[in-house]
Amino acid sequence: MKKYVAKRVITAIFTLLVILLVLFILMQLMPGSPFNDEKLNADQKAALYAKYGLDQPVFIQFFRYVGNMLRGDFGVSYNISKNTPISQLIATRLPVSIAIGGFAVAIGAVIGLILGLIAAFRHDTILDTICTIISVIGVSVPSYVFALALSYQFGYVWQVFPMLYNSAEALNSSVLPSVSLSMFTMASIARFTRTEMLEVLGSEYMLLAESKGISGASLIFRHALRNALIPIITVLAPLIVDLMTGSLVVEKIFAIPGVGSLLVNAIQSNDYNVVISLSFIYSALYIAIMLVVDILYGIIDPRIRLAKDNG
Amino acid sequence: MKKKILAVALAAAMVVGMAGCGGGSSAPETSTGAEGEATAEVSGSDLNVMLETPVQSLDPQQATDGTSFEVIADYTDGLMQMAEDGAPVEAIAESYEVSEDGLTYTFHLRDAKWSNGTPVTAADFVFAWQRAVDPAVASEYSYMMSDIGQIKNAEAIIAGEKDKSELGVTAVDDKTLKVELNVPVSYFLSLMYFPTFYPVNEEFFNSVGDSFGTSPDTVLSNGAFVMDDYQPAATAFHLTKNADYWDADRVQLAGLNYQVIQDSQQALMNYQTGALDTTLINGDQVDQVEGDEAFRAIGAGYLWYVSPNIAKVKEFDNLNIRMAMTMAINRDAITQDVLKDGSAPTYTAVPMDFATGPDGSDFSADQTKFSDVCAFDADKAVEFWNAGLKELGTDKLEIEMIVDDDDAPKKVAQVLKEQWETTLPGLTVNLKTEPKKQRVKDMEDGNYQLGLTRWGPDYADPMTYLGMWVTDNNNNYGLWTNADYDKIIADCTTGELALDAEKRWTSLYDAEQIVMNEAVIFPLYTQCNAEMISPKVTGIEFHPVALNRVFKNAVKSE
Amino acid sequence: MFHKKENTAAALAVTKNNYVPVDTDFVFKDNAGEIEIDTNFASQSFWKEVVIRFVHKKSAVFGIVMILFITFMAILGPNMNSYSYSGQILEQKSLAPRVQGLENMGIFNGDEKMHTSTGIKVVNNYKEKGFDDVYYWFGSDNFGRDIWTRTWHGARVSLIIAVVAAIIDMIIGMSYGLISGYFGGKVDMLMQRFLEVANSIPRLVIVTLLLLVLKPGMVTIIIALMLTEWVGMSRIARAEMLKLKEQEFVLASRTLGAGSFFIIFKEVLPNIIGPIITQVMFSIPTAIFTEAFLSFVGLGIPVPECSLGSLISDGFNSFTTHPYQIVSPIIVMALLMLSFNLVADGLREALDPKMKEM
Repeated sequence: MKKYVAKRVITAIFTLLVILLVLFILMQLMPGSPFNDEKLNADQKAALYAKYGLDQPVFIQFFRYVGNMLRGDFGVSYNISKNTPISQLIATRLPVSIAIGGFAVAIGAVIGLILGLIAAFRHDTILDTICTIISVIGVSVPSYVFALALSYQFGYVWQVFPMLYNSAEALNSSVLPSVSLSMFTMASIARFTRTEMLEVLGSEYMLLAESKGISGASLIFRHALRNALIPIITVLAPLIVDLMTGSLVVEKIFAIPGVGSLLVNAIQSNDYNVVISLSFIYSALYIAIMLVVDILYGIIDPRIRLAKDNG
Repeated sequence: MKKKILAVALAAAMVVGMAGCGGGSSAPETSTGAEGEATAEVSGSDLNVMLETPVQSLDPQQATDGTSFEVIADYTDGLMQMAEDGAPVEAIAESYEVSEDGLTYTFHLRDAKWSNGTPVTAADFVFAWQRAVDPAVASEYSYMMSDIGQIKNAEAIIAGEKDKSELGVTAVDDKTLKVELNVPVSYFLSLMYFPTFYPVNEEFFNSVGDSFGTSPDTVLSNGAFVMDDYQPAATAFHLTKNADYWDADRVQLAGLNYQVIQDSQQALMNYQTGALDTTLINGDQVDQVEGDEAFRAIGAGYLWYVSPNIAKVKEFDNLNIRMAMTMAINRDAITQDVLKDGSAPTYTAVPMDFATGPDGSDFSADQTKFSDVCAFDADKAVEFWNAGLKELGTDKLEIEMIVDDDDAPKKVAQVLKEQWETTLPGLTVNLKTEPKKQRVKDMEDGNYQLGLTRWGPDYADPMTYLGMWVTDNNNNYGLWTNADYDKIIADCTTGELALDAEKRWTSLYDAEQIVMNEAVIFPLYTQCNAEMISPKVTGIEFHPVALNRVFKNAVKSE
Repeated sequence: MFHKKENTAAALAVTKNNYVPVDTDFVFKDNAGEIEIDTNFASQSFWKEVVIRFVHKKSAVFGIVMILFITFMAILGPNMNSYSYSGQILEQKSLAPRVQGLENMGIFNGDEKMHTSTGIKVVNNYKEKGFDDVYYWFGSDNFGRDIWTRTWHGARVSLIIAVVAAIIDMIIGMSYGLISGYFGGKVDMLMQRFLEVANSIPRLVIVTLLLLVLKPGMVTIIIALMLTEWVGMSRIARAEMLKLKEQEFVLASRTLGAGSFFIIFKEVLPNIIGPIITQVMFSIPTAIFTEAFLSFVGLGIPVPECSLGSLISDGFNSFTTHPYQIVSPIIVMALLMLSFNLVADGLREALDPKMKEM
């Protein structure tokens, strides 16, 4: 087991390095420069490139960046927040994204689970269809429209929640953004729970449990749900990464100082360091979560471990 | 790049007023506290202000965008400040003298204090200005010092040929600052309210190091407000009135509450619930606020135009084709039916309401002067078109236009396409939307056929536009070249006409005539912004150049 | 079915004995009413069973009908009136929906409620501007283009993009997953690491770059969508392959000397077509949705061409001013999404007999 974990961790680190290199190469493909092209002359441009070391070959830039990163230095922003260390930008913004994303995951997972369970237990009835429709509607309307509609109804017409994020009342003002973010998770979890539950409920051991006279809540929660939960968590894991690293749409509409809008702004204004750092954090989180899930899986189900070890 | 040498003895005071935008209700009284009477009572509330984009930098020598300039100016005063009509008025400078040849400015500083208690001295200006040209700092706005400000040695320092200490600015003593120029610059005083020229205290700067301008503790104020809540790229931040401001009596607001909102519908809803006192809205929303006294269209200064690639696309080397295309544009329909934000249709190569001539009139007040070469006239356009096609020996043209991937340009481009295709038989226009950065890059590389672009004035003289069409200028993307034109522009900058304001002005008209006759660009409109300003608020000053908004004189009644 | 079988058997027996049959030799017993055939255990072809199960699910049938209806409208809708999807009539901009016949019943009469900053007012721009004989069934947009025509044209574009992207990513993802799963070992390891790298770089970064480097247009968007979707498909294909490759029929085929690619594509593939089709049905709505997101970020289909996504993101700017501009594309899109999801659900259950007994 230890050997397996060690092997996986080493591969993950290697993968991350490859990703970083790929990101560097991608940045080279980006047309335009981070600086104000229209009004700069050649001397000024050369001075700017020299100042930030952008006149060096990609590989030198890459190794220098890796070196700095090991010391916790992600470089500075060239454009969206000039000369601000990116570590500072991330330190103030990532927690906001994580909080709102976490809130959204919680809402989405709970509601999704309930909808999925109802749908599975009332399979092929009108209730099933209604649950499916509710969960699909959530992802049928683009999130920006949904977010604005929520803001209009709850923020403007009824005035029960703030329309914009505001750090002074972070919890209250996170409700609308989190709800609009949670829709996708809710739909995925609802759908997945339903399928998994149907599979579990159709299996022999459930029949056995039922014939042993177990019924009601105990049957659902102790026997059925428990077995369905593992695959659900697998689906949830990448969704968590997506939500935690911020969403452009929701951040833009609710004026949230998160990392999602930062990434998009950075891409559009060629702020290389910001794009690289944020993408890298995303990749690292993603790989870490997948790694944890894999290892947990290995602990829970030895068959997988064996298959992977051999592979 | 050809040097932009703008030497001139322009007699008239330059006035950068509010551009004459259509639409909106008649402007209410904008200035109340301007007389400077001491009003003892300070209204207890903050002004809630909407921003479209976050601040990029609070370092006056590094900032390049309008938002950053506005916020820096909220808490910093330069030598001069911007009056409501855009004229420079003394701020940190109590008085100034200009030498007879116009090459030396001497400023006498008043007793102003930084918010940490140290006095504002001439050395603070020297330090800041040297930073602006220092290649190690690599300020993107260093050209304000060199090309535009014409400060002695700036050019050479930027190029790394001289040390920054040789910049033509010296602190004679604590309260006296001397500036030397290469050539007389008529608008030099008005540059003094441009944030690149704002002072920075050297001792404080060195004490905070790289973190300068990243938090309330790392900025220093000598202006009307003090930053008390800020993070880099924050979506909300706050400034409070500076009690120690040298002109504190004039400031009526308790503070400024900035909120970044990128979605214009959220902005309007927030305005309607009272969470914002002033906000920008988009053209589509104008339907919703028409007739509201709070709605105003405010000049933003930008001229939007289409640039044909004359050198590289043979179709556009043909004058008839260019004429046909510019005359097939219905500019009124674009501004009235599509933009709706009050933007003004423009038929001249220099936009309206920013450059005033020796006789006090606007350079582009007469929008009909080029109507035989630039007006909406479908019949004439078709005539030119057919003549052009004949010369090219074809009956069909397919052209691509590159467009910024933003709301307004995308809308305008769609209308242009439709207008051109319906008016000019055999023409197909394909639109390619790109992020602005790439669009600019493509145009710089000459990798385009038609480009929809804009230009904002750097200073209040027609030269900021006309200077672009000189052979080999960086921004002459279409690579048009005309010897007569080059000569006029050279005469007007450093040549014989440079010292004769009236003659220079007529020559500039001649130059503009050439640009229009040759259809070097197809001017479209002068941009305006649709703003909501609560009737409770008066005295916010809007400007198309330098500082977009000034709040020093703003008053908010309860 | 059974009758037919008996018939042939009888005929066979007869030929063997060189006996010349007479009509009266055998008479069928009319026992239809007596014999009870247990349908549960009746042997039926797999696909026939799937169809039966699928048809039994009302929601799935609704989905199919809806998809067919929208496809039909996407083909014919734009030609149902005289407007074109790109033709602008600027004087007739922002007109509310108005339909002949319905206008006298108080709905679709061109009235719109404007929530102005000074209060709510009802305006009818048709009457105010004197367009008595002008009808825009879904209203007109900010350029005076017919939203009806644009909605159906947009549905057409969205469907083409989504279906093509789904099919391409099925082919690529499926091949990738099958090959990776079949060969296992080093090949699998390398292929999975590549996939991990591709999958863990934020999509937006890759897609934006792609759209910047390539010429914007339908093809580029299809490539962008494909890039974001094939990973899921390859996972499923690989998992199925891992399940199947140790089974006897694969072994048998290999023993008979079949090449690897023959086994992968001729032997295994037909056995996993069910989950693959289901996944394709799921990836179509995802593609429609992703395209809408790309439109919002400004990476959508180039103007004046339109898709449901670009219509929604255009209408979004007038959401609080002229809501009808966004309503029709949103409804069509939501119906499409719902229908594809219902059909996919139905298919999955129909294909997976495990759930049959529930």
